[in-house]
Amino acid sequence: MISGKNDAFYEVLSPWAEADPVPLKGLAPRLDKLDGKKIGLLQNSKRAAPRILDVTERLLKEKFPRTQISRFEGRSFSVSSLEPERRQEFEDWLKGVDAVIAAVGD
Amino acid sequence: MYDAIFIENFGKPTSTYIFEHFANDAASAASSKGVPVIRTVPEKIVSESTVMEDIDLAIQAVFNNVVETLTRPLTADEKSPKRREQENPPRLIFKGNLAEINEFFYRRGWTDGLPVIPPTEDAVREMMTGTDYAPDYLVEKLEPRQGKATVEKIAINAVMAGCLPTHLPLLIAGVHALADNPTTGMMAASTGSWAPFYLVNGPVRNDVKVNSSYGASSPGNIANAAIGRAMGLITKNIRGIRKQVEDMGVLGNPGKYSFVAAENEENSPWEPFHVDCGFKKEDSTITVSFPQSYQQMVPFGTDDKGIIATVVGSIVPARMGLFSLILTPNNAQSLAKRGWSKQSVKDYIVKNARVPEDYYTRLGLDASGPFDRGNFMGQGTSPQILRPTPDRPDPVQIFVFGGFGSWVGFMQGGPPPIIKKVELPKNWPQLVKKYQNIVPTYVRY
Repeated sequence: MISGKNDAFYEVLSPWAEADPVPLKGLAPRLDKLDGKKIGLLQNSKRAAPRILDVTERLLKEKFPRTQISRFEGRSFSVSSLEPERRQEFEDWLKGVDAVIAAVGD
Repeated sequence: MYDAIFIENFGKPTSTYIFEHFANDAASAASSKGVPVIRTVPEKIVSESTVMEDIDLAIQAVFNNVVETLTRPLTADEKSPKRREQENPPRLIFKGNLAEINEFFYRRGWTDGLPVIPPTEDAVREMMTGTDYAPDYLVEKLEPRQGKATVEKIAINAVMAGCLPTHLPLLIAGVHALADNPTTGMMAASTGSWAPFYLVNGPVRNDVKVNSSYGASSPGNIANAAIGRAMGLITKNIRGIRKQVEDMGVLGNPGKYSFVAAENEENSPWEPFHVDCGFKKEDSTITVSFPQSYQQMVPFGTDDKGIIATVVGSIVPARMGLFSLILTPNNAQSLAKRGWSKQSVKDYIVKNARVPEDYYTRLGLDASGPFDRGNFMGQGTSPQILRPTPDRPDPVQIFVFGGFGSWVGFMQGGPPPIIKKVELPKNWPQLVKKYQNIVPTYVRY
């Protein structure tokens, strides 16, 4: 932006809003292996997600034949937008798996 | 990433595929929810891709990374992440001339690319005369970073945008609207580049001169331009939605600069939108919706048959959500004169906007394949394009604005609109009097 020779000077306020610090959380402990474990495949509503998980499932079965696989279809962009009954279904599903592979199609 | 965070917090290790260009977005999303270190698997699948061969190859290429993210032991930082320095800059942030301030703000990603008015203490103090709330009053915390939209922060962004103090009540109501439904608000970050449209109803339209007539959504009126612009700056600087960090809009959308109009209530044959929503005519409101596209066309005819045929004939599948019809006052009058109410127009559109039987096969596509994610029940199972659902009971909205012309407007896509009442300060009449004569006078040639 062009400025003139005798421009006025201004002291200005910051437009960037404050935010309270969010409590930090670490990740869940990892599995020692995938073979023999229950792996959940989570897809949201994006178009590529189902195919991503189809390929993932095939590769999991090829490499880890004793792995049990189950799917959950989010049908929205995230868990937070699931209606309460569906959210309960999701949590019940999570209880039954050891780990999740998520495809968000983005 | 919110799903991944939820699942990790649930105690289950997660591996999330992300398109490689979403790395910043993923990191920001996770960090905003308290998980600054998260395991993702970048891949090369373009957003919204349907090319199976590309997807297959991309996943095969990274599958070993998926295994590794689920089995490699956590680092110390992943177990107990350290807090990085909070980005809460000092209140008084910079001193310089106009150009220096604009460069400083631009480099920090605090502008929309256009010059901003320096938000000095005096300017912000004057802006805050537009409300009775104290400067530190917390209007809302806004997703995704839970940024505190205090009156002062709203006012700072309003000054930058070129608002008058009389616009502040509309901005405060607009902030309430954005916070009302996080899913709606997050359309601002989507790959689809959804741009917020703000409709103003009630007496405030004329008090602050929000244009409802010719060129209502064109540049040239301070209110229409600055109110939308301020909401855009609030989206960046309070919400924390920045281009290609959180805002992953692929094509972008000029409507993100400003897309504001007032309803032309005086010349509409029907009740105003806010009255339909349960407000009194003397209330003032602001309504936000997030259309993806805005289209205009000359109708096949300007009687009711011609207008309705134009609308129904222009609705095609996969426009992802709400359909908002913009009628000029005379088009609305043409319909009303021939017995149409707003509701009967809506009902007709819902019933008759259908996918032709041979639509997909004519296009060489699998008839059951293409889907409209904004209309879940319509995934190839029924020809009705706009179907009421529990979370979208009213898939067609009608707004009356514009000049006296025949053009018909469509805004397509997005979740249902959110409407909020505008609360005015006690000295509103005096404020309006002070600022109401700031109007353009065009030189004739």
